[in-house]
Formats: sequence, C-alpha cells, structure tokens
Amino acid sequence: MRKWSLLLVVVLVVAMLPTLPDSPSAAAQEGKTFVWGAEANPVQLDPAVVTDGASFRVTVQGCEPLLFYDGSTTNPIPGLAKSWTTSEDGLVWTFELVDNATFHDGTPFNAEAVVYNFERWRFTTHPTHWAESVFEYYDAMWGGFDDSENRIIDKVEATGEFQVTFTLTSPYGSMLNTLAMPMFSIASPAAIEAAGAQYGTPEVGYSCTGPYTFVEWVSDDHVTLARNATYWGDFPGNTDQVVFRIIPDAAARFAALQSGEIDGFEGPNVEDLEAIEGSDNMQVLMRGPLNVMYLAFSYRVKEFQDVNVRKAIAMAINRQEIVDAFYPPGAVIATTMIPPSLWGYNADVPAFDYDPEAAKALLAEAGYPDGFSEVSIMKVDENGVVTDEVETTMPLTLYYQPVARPYNPDGEGIGEAMVSYLADIGLEAELGSVGDWSAYLEARSNGELNGLYQLGWTGDNGDPDNFLGYFYAANPVAREGFYSNAEVGTLLMQARAMADQAEREPIYQQVEVLQHDEVARVYIAHTGVPLAFSTRVSGYVPNPLSTEHFKLVTVE
Amino acid sequence: MFQYFARRVIESIPVVIGVSILVFMLIHMIPGDPVVAMLGERATEENVTALRERLGFDEPLYEQYFLWAGRMLRGDLGNTVRGNIPVENELRNRFPATIELGLMALTLATLVGVPVGILSATKRNSLLDTASMFGALFGVSIPIFVLGLLLIFFIGVELEWLPFVGRLSSDINIERVTGLNTIDALIDGNWKAFKDALEHLILPAITLSTIPLAVIARITRSAMLEVLNQDYIRTAHAKGLRYRTVVIRHAFRNALLPIVTIIGLQLGTLLSGAVLTETIFSWPGVGKWLFDSIVARDYSIVQSMTLIIAMIYIAVNFAVDFMYAIIDPRIRY
Repeated sequence: MRKWSLLLVVVLVVAMLPTLPDSPSAAAQEGKTFVWGAEANPVQLDPAVVTDGASFRVTVQGCEPLLFYDGSTTNPIPGLAKSWTTSEDGLVWTFELVDNATFHDGTPFNAEAVVYNFERWRFTTHPTHWAESVFEYYDAMWGGFDDSENRIIDKVEATGEFQVTFTLTSPYGSMLNTLAMPMFSIASPAAIEAAGAQYGTPEVGYSCTGPYTFVEWVSDDHVTLARNATYWGDFPGNTDQVVFRIIPDAAARFAALQSGEIDGFEGPNVEDLEAIEGSDNMQVLMRGPLNVMYLAFSYRVKEFQDVNVRKAIAMAINRQEIVDAFYPPGAVIATTMIPPSLWGYNADVPAFDYDPEAAKALLAEAGYPDGFSEVSIMKVDENGVVTDEVETTMPLTLYYQPVARPYNPDGEGIGEAMVSYLADIGLEAELGSVGDWSAYLEARSNGELNGLYQLGWTGDNGDPDNFLGYFYAANPVAREGFYSNAEVGTLLMQARAMADQAEREPIYQQVEVLQHDEVARVYIAHTGVPLAFSTRVSGYVPNPLSTEHFKLVTVE
Repeated sequence: MFQYFARRVIESIPVVIGVSILVFMLIHMIPGDPVVAMLGERATEENVTALRERLGFDEPLYEQYFLWAGRMLRGDLGNTVRGNIPVENELRNRFPATIELGLMALTLATLVGVPVGILSATKRNSLLDTASMFGALFGVSIPIFVLGLLLIFFIGVELEWLPFVGRLSSDINIERVTGLNTIDALIDGNWKAFKDALEHLILPAITLSTIPLAVIARITRSAMLEVLNQDYIRTAHAKGLRYRTVVIRHAFRNALLPIVTIIGLQLGTLLSGAVLTETIFSWPGVGKWLFDSIVARDYSIVQSMTLIIAMIYIAVNFAVDFMYAIIDPRIRY
C-alpha cells in the first residue's frame, strides 16, 4: 500500500513539474492550424442526412454545393456551377459546371456525379438512400421525395460532361438559394458506394471537392481536416489544417480562447462579451440575424379569435425591454416574420407600441373590461378545422420554450416577463411547460399548446418563402396553432411558384401587412450571433446562414 | 466459492432483464420521440408519421423491445438514431475515456480520503478532525461546475499550469491499444504523450474526486471510530504495541469492510460517467453522451448504455463481495 502510494505521488509530482520547453518538432509546419471551439459533436459528416449546425460547420469546409452564398449576404453566387440559364416558363434550369474539380478520393467531378447525388437524395429506392438515414432537408426543401405529389424536381440530367439540366414540375422561386444550401453538397459517388452506410461516420468521414479533406474524427473530442492540395478554386487564407475541438460549455470555450487553446468559437455568453471586446488579444464579430422569435396564438382559444384581444396582447408586451434584458447586443425587435437582412422584408410595417392603457381599452372593446384568466378551447373537427363548439375551459396559459435557442436565449425568463406584462392589463396567465424540447415540439406539432406559446425559426436558405411560406402557405394546420387566412395562403403559394425575385418581393411584403393588421402572431425579436476570435485571426466572414468558409481565414 | 459466484451470476440475469424492460418502457413512455427531436422546429404531422414508419417506431412497443433484445443478445448494440453510426464504435471511444477519468478520480479520492478519515478518527475532536470533516462537508456541497470553472480559470487560464480541454493536446497522437491514453503512451514509450495525457487528467480528476473523497473520508472516520472503541484495541495498546501498528494493523484492517463497500459503490457511479465534469472539461466520456441521447430520445444509445451501466453495478458488487473474502478471513462463500 505504502509503496504504491509513494509511486503515485512521485508520478504526479513529475507530471506537475513546470512544463519544460518541448524540443522543436522535427517537421515544423509551414502553414497554420486554425482551431475552432465547437459547441457540440457533429451528428454525421454526410451533410445530406443531418440537420444540426455542428455537422454543417465541418462539412461546409470540405463539401461544396453548386452555388455559394456571397460573403455576408444570402445572395447565391457561382460555386461548383459557374453559370446558369433558365427557360422562360421557369421550369428548365441549365447549369454549366467547373471542369477542374476533383473529389478527395481522386475521382473526377462532373455532371454525372451531380446527377448521382440528386438521384440518391430524390429516390427513396436508390441503393444509397439508406432507409435508416433521414434525408430530411431534401424532403423539406424540394417538396418531398420522388414518390410525393408535391415534388418540385421532375428530372435531373447530365446534358454534357460539365452541364446539368434540371426540369421542374412547377416554377420554384427559391431554386438558386436552395441549391446553395450546404446539405445539397456534391459528394463523390465512388466514395459513397465504397463506404456504404458507413459514409459520413467517424471511421470514414466525407469525400467531396472542397478546400479541406477529412483526416480524423474522435467523437466528442475533435475533428481534424487538412488542406486539399489539389483544390480547384481560390484559397485566400494560410491554414494547412483545421481542428474542431469539441467544447460543450460556453464558459470553458471562453477560457480556452483566453488561454490560446482555440482560435475562435460561436456564441460566447452575453456576460463574457464585454471582456472579449475589452481584451487586447480577443475580438468579436457579429453574424447578421436570420431568425425570428415569436409568441403564437392557438386559434382554438375562443378569446384569441377576436382581433382586438390579439392586438391588446401585442401592445401589452414591452419588446424593447425584453430585447434589452435577454438578448445579446445586435438583436432588434421584430415587426414581421422576416428578418430585416432578407429581401422581402417590409420596412413599412410598423411595430406595435408598448401601450398598456390602449391595450386595456382594446380588451374592454372586446368585452373584457376586467381582463380574463380562463379561456374556452374550441373543438376541432376531423378535417383539423376549429369549430364553434366549446370543448373545455382552462386557465389562460403562456407556454415557454424549455431550451435556449439562438433566437430565444431564455424561454423561461422571457416567459415570466411576458406573464407579468399581461397581468398589467388584467390577463392573469399561468406560465406553462410541457416537459423538455422534444415533448414541447410534439405538443406544438399536434396543436396541443392551447394558449400562447413561444417558438421561433432560423432560416435555411435565405429565401422569404422559407420564413412565410413554410409557416403559413398551407393553413389552417394544427402545427401553426390553427392559424387560418385563405388570402395569405393563396398569395404565398403564388409567390412560391414564381421565378423572378422582383415579382415575388411585393407579394411577401403584402402578406406582412396582412399579418400585421390581423395580428397573426406577436413577433418579438431577431437576433444575430456573436462570434469570438483571437486577434491572430483575420479574414473570417460571418454569414447569416452560418456557411462560413475557413479557407478565407489567415492565422498569424 | 465458485458455486456461490455461479449462483450470483444466474441470479443477476433477471435483474438485467428487469432493468432492460424498465428502461425501455421509461424512455418510450416519456413524451416526445427521436423523430420530433430530430426534425425540431420543422416537424410537421406528415413528415413525423412518415419518418416514424421508416425508422420502425410505429411498431407495437413489445415488438420493438424483442427486436432490440434479440440484437443485444447477438452482441449487436445497433446504430444511433441520429446519424446512423454503430453504437459500438461510439462506445469504443468514449468508454475508455470514462474509465481513465473515473479510476484517476477514485484513486485520488481513496489516497486522500482514507488517510484523512483515519487521522481525524485517531485525533478525534481535534482541530485537524474538525477541519477535515468541514472540508468533507464542503467537498460534498460545492457544485461541480463551480469548482470546475474555478479550477479552469485559476489553474488553467491565469497560472497556465494545466490544460483543461479534452484528453490530449491537438498536436499529440497516441497509437491506440487500450484506449486509456496514459497506458497507451507508456506502452508506446512516448513520455511526452504520457505527460500530456496525465496533465489533461488532473483538473477533471480533482473535480470529479471531491464528492467520493468526502464520502470516503467520512465513512473511514466513522468505521475507524467504531473499531477504535473496541476492547481488543485497548488490549493491543496495553500490550505496548506501537501506536501506528495498533491503528493500521488492528484497527484499520477491521474497519476495511464498510470502506471497501463505499469505494465500490463510488466506482460504479464514476464508471457510469459524469455529466457535469465531462461537460466542463470537454471530456469525451459516456456521461454527457448518455445525457444528450436522452434529450434527443436516441433510443439505441439510451437502452444500450443503461443496460451496460446496470451490468457495471452488478460486476462492481461482485468485486466488492470478492474483496470481503480477502480482507476478512472469517467470510467464506
């Protein structure tokens, strides 16, 4: 016993001796390593089958779609496709591809490879469309798989060695923005075939055309990428290697940046921002907002069917105070579903002023001079339409989001604030919760949040259809609290089918006015995401869609 | 003895089956499912139903259970729901990380906790006793994340003495044999890597060891106090034996049973992972993984992991019983 403990003490003491200078490594690296503090372990490195930001942050560095987003905007620019044309009816799109790109496994990039990838995503019967994997984004963005009636893509053909032609079933306004999404990156068909269902797992990684090749992924520890020596495009930065160190705790990421362990990370705690900005060796960059947080009405609640009640609630909530108290710098109050950075945003839609007195007057006008604390829940018929029949009554409830999201940093805190604003105009609401995030989403999806509920959205492709169309084009549905407005639905369907941005924009702006007048929802805030870096790093360009390319980064 | 342990193994089978059914029911009964967790804000009724069907979550629960249990019996832990990665591969990386950290923390806790317990028992009601028992109370009470972040800030950032992110520095590679980095580095004869791996272990091990250390110290103290009041101790003193000999040979040996039991229990806890310590020190172990998997309703991971944890507890209990026979010659199986 004594001998052992002595040995252990000796070992510990030796290990704790002040670090001796390490002998210079024999092969001193020429290029630099950029170390990113990642907030989570990637789910998978096949971007076609994932939905989480941690995975895309890695795959964006190695896998490229036909188009990119330009700098810090959501405008599509050439990527693996260098130019394109569209037919007059908007149904046929022809893309000219770059002719000098090679996949990481050495096989050539060409039109056949693009066709292969699309067929893999489109056909649920394709041999590499694994049944156990979820090609969720393809399903969501392209109107379903090929067995769906609503599918947007009819055919994808190689019309030349470096020319691909898409034929659509109906014009698709978001075509280019959607093609630029990182989930629609083109991977090597040979690599997918060779790895089978293991493609994208830690053992295999990815094989695409991008500036960094996959080296290693140790789950929950790190992912390492190396510069692709045969990259076809520009490589303005100076990094030879990229390491994603997985550091789940924001305070630990901040400490790791301070100690030089990492060079940058996303989402520092609000309370650390000042220290970073005030420091000589750290800096903050802001990613523009592409999200919205809202308070939704369940239209099953009889009282909420009166526009004056909805308006009273909108005027009772002090959004400026919420933004100041809970959101990071750079957040703005929302007046519509669409964030200001996106085309289609209508700057003329006014904000509802915080005015509790006017709100009380509106409630009185609606027949509730003393407010209310109980609400009537209406029956829903078998078609999912709210009827005139009362099913039950229950206390007025405001459901808060159980997890922090970029658009909602503190659901419970904001919920408490909202409840107290409502109390000021005589609406005695309970703060409601329904378990964790998964349970909350399920209740929302089934239309079971009978009251007011918080939720939000982060944009996928920088197209207004992805904000307004996604939520309101098909209505009423349980998932959107039975919101019902036929005119809004028709307008959004119309805009979705148009190819020309200039024609689509006024339609979205019109919908925003309609939604403002009827107080469809109470839009609360749009928020940007702060990014923290060491001052050794330059060239990083934040993008609202988070598709930020490390090939631009220079490390001193 | 062999017979005894054979019976214990057989007896543990219903326990394992019971745990597996219980866990299966619990994880499936809590509201929300992996499909909704995966789809997030974009979950619609249609795509939720379609995806449930594809992943087989629409089958009756008992069918899903037998399907899973059958796979487990064949040694197939299945694939993760999110990402479709073999659970076994994920486990192969994470489990050694947990074992290494858990053993290190337990070693620290034992090496410090037992002597402190003995000292405060022999110097009962002295300043030393009060101070160490206050320390033990503090150790049980201080929130792990407070202690962890304090250590990171002072030792890691301000003094720059020790690293606090993960298991190894970015520029160090160790050839994998056991998965325990310190051992693998020694096998490889790579001293630089050994030192790096050991340095990475220290802060998380200190953080993780506080609670077991406090528990072990308190149990040691009370077990020692009980023994020290026995007649044979007085006899030993009267015989004129050295004080040390009496305390170590006569008293400590007899106080060992409860101490070994508590150390065994702590080992079980430590080997099932440590969510907070792993989160703060970016330690790629099983604790946070299991926690995240529950949130994401990743059934394959939760079911396999909880079953493995149940088996760990059973194995640790075996080991403790086995130790009894060694420590106390009166115990025969």
